[in-house]
Amino acid sequence: MRKLNLKAIFAREVPFFMAMPAVAWQVLFFFIPVGLILFLSFLKSGNAFSLTLENYFYFLKPLFFGIIGRSLILAFVTAFCCLLLSYPVAYCLAVKIDRFKNLFLFFLILPFWTSLMVQVYAWFFVLEHNGLLNTLLMKVGIISQPIHLLNTTFAIYLVMIYCYLPFMIFPLYTALEKIDKRMFEAAADLGATQWQTFRKITIPLSMPGIKTGFFLVFVPSFGEFVVPTLLGGGKQIFVGSLITQYFLGARNPYLGSAFTCISCLALLAAVGLIYWFFKKKTVAPVNGRK
Amino acid sequence: MRSIKLQNIKKTFHGETILENINLTIPGGKIFALLGPSGSGKTTILRLIAGFEKVDEGAIFLGDEDITNVPINERHINTVFQNYALFPHLNVFDNIAFSQRLKKVPEDVIEQKVQKVIKTVHLEKHIYKSIQQLSGGQQQRVALARAIINEPEVLLLDEPLAALDLKLRERMLLELIDLQSTLKTTFVYVTHDQFEALTVADTMAIMNPDGQIEQIGTPKEIYEFPVSSFVAQFVGSTNIFKGVLRTTDEKHQLEIEGIGTCDVALPKHKDWITNGSTILMSVRPEKIDISKTPLEGFSNAVQGTVVSIVYHGRSTQYNVRLSNGQVIQVFEQNEEHFPKEVIDYDDQVYLYWQKENVVLLEK
Repeated sequence: MRKLNLKAIFAREVPFFMAMPAVAWQVLFFFIPVGLILFLSFLKSGNAFSLTLENYFYFLKPLFFGIIGRSLILAFVTAFCCLLLSYPVAYCLAVKIDRFKNLFLFFLILPFWTSLMVQVYAWFFVLEHNGLLNTLLMKVGIISQPIHLLNTTFAIYLVMIYCYLPFMIFPLYTALEKIDKRMFEAAADLGATQWQTFRKITIPLSMPGIKTGFFLVFVPSFGEFVVPTLLGGGKQIFVGSLITQYFLGARNPYLGSAFTCISCLALLAAVGLIYWFFKKKTVAPVNGRK
Repeated sequence: MRSIKLQNIKKTFHGETILENINLTIPGGKIFALLGPSGSGKTTILRLIAGFEKVDEGAIFLGDEDITNVPINERHINTVFQNYALFPHLNVFDNIAFSQRLKKVPEDVIEQKVQKVIKTVHLEKHIYKSIQQLSGGQQQRVALARAIINEPEVLLLDEPLAALDLKLRERMLLELIDLQSTLKTTFVYVTHDQFEALTVADTMAIMNPDGQIEQIGTPKEIYEFPVSSFVAQFVGSTNIFKGVLRTTDEKHQLEIEGIGTCDVALPKHKDWITNGSTILMSVRPEKIDISKTPLEGFSNAVQGTVVSIVYHGRSTQYNVRLSNGQVIQVFEQNEEHFPKEVIDYDDQVYLYWQKENVVLLEK
């Protein structure tokens, strides 16, 4: 009979034990609450332990579809604009610049280290009636009267893009940095113009970064409530702000949970759709043969 | 096929001069090897011809056409990169078809062309595989196919076999020679490996660590008649002696300190060859005979002690210390299983060579 060697088992399972605290954290503060929300969404308000779909039926109204649609558009436009703005920056940093690269990266990450609240409040000073932007535009002579900037959709989009930019730049930079620089030389050698090299080599090879960045921006933007609430002045309701309303304002966790679940489903569907689109684009561009 | 001419090329990187006053004509339709130690600037010359780098001074001609300022993608020159630089997101077919698709060649023509080159490089079985599925040798072939499908006037090869093992390298070298004689494209082959250069080249140039071209010639000329001790030592192995030249009408001898005088044959038309000048002499190890007993019929003989023996298989290398302390190498072919005379460590031996087989060098 073999003796159970506890020491050896322990040694073999060290990675498992080391992962335990993080897993416990995740289960305790994420999976259990999510399960709780799912459970709450099927409960009749006020009447304990009576299961119902009422909470879901409540949201089958154009008003709520509008809110979800608005949030999806916000998330998509934010992610797309971030991609367009970040790609040239990441490309320059990864491919064109070799000196002071770390310094530039440091400057890019600097605002990211500031609290989101502080960043958002700072934008008030830029966007308000007598703020920096209005003053500047008037000095230059583009406008004669201060324009209304705060509490507009424009303000929401502007600040959303600003806040989420680093989430896009860094995955893109990492992906572009990883591309063997001789790929560009090889493409040029085979007759590609700079634009052709960009389309046929740079974009496909940086696809992993584009995907990661897009989802890193898209998913949290969908539920964002700080920026739309503070800079939109509450005039436009987004998914994040409505959920906050139900839980903190109306104190109706049942409806809040149901709406959370519906939003999550909508988000998952959107993510699936975008994922499918990326996958279609990643397949070798011209030749479809096996 | 047009020749390539480099005229007074100068190239600096970050203020450091890599190449200066490079003048080189690469004959068209042949294999030209550029051989030099790492850091000698041979890859830089290749990159200048390809167009990846711009010259600081000078001009590059393809035939009579000045291509110095022609962009990379418009030169009729293709490159096989050192680590192949194949596109990882495309399969073998798409990698090879890349240049044709850029030119908007119809798909059915592309299909035919790819099939044809893929046969040339023996990759028929791997046509739709992804690059990651291929071995080093197969990737090498894809890189070749991708470059030659474009029918370039010049094919540049940058250490193309450096990543392959010896046997595969030998086979690929022969295939490259075959390929060149079918295509008639000008091949410029950059390598630090003298074996590769001697094997493939019709003509070769030797570069020294200072970025200068020391000698241009056929492999035989370079090996048998090197112009400097650098070339003699870089291509093959050799023994270098330093001595004072004593020359009269009937006899030419080199006086070597601690050894004595050696008969030498004088090369023609060399102004540095004068009576009393200090010069160098190179004797290749395989041109020296070794024996424990005195032999007749050699113009030169010296005595020494065997200090080490290295067995190479087809030959044996004896390192022999001469009376002046210098250790020289001697190669003997292992012609017999049981040689009549066995030479061992510490044996006193006689070394012989013919005066026609030495090369006199200025530096």
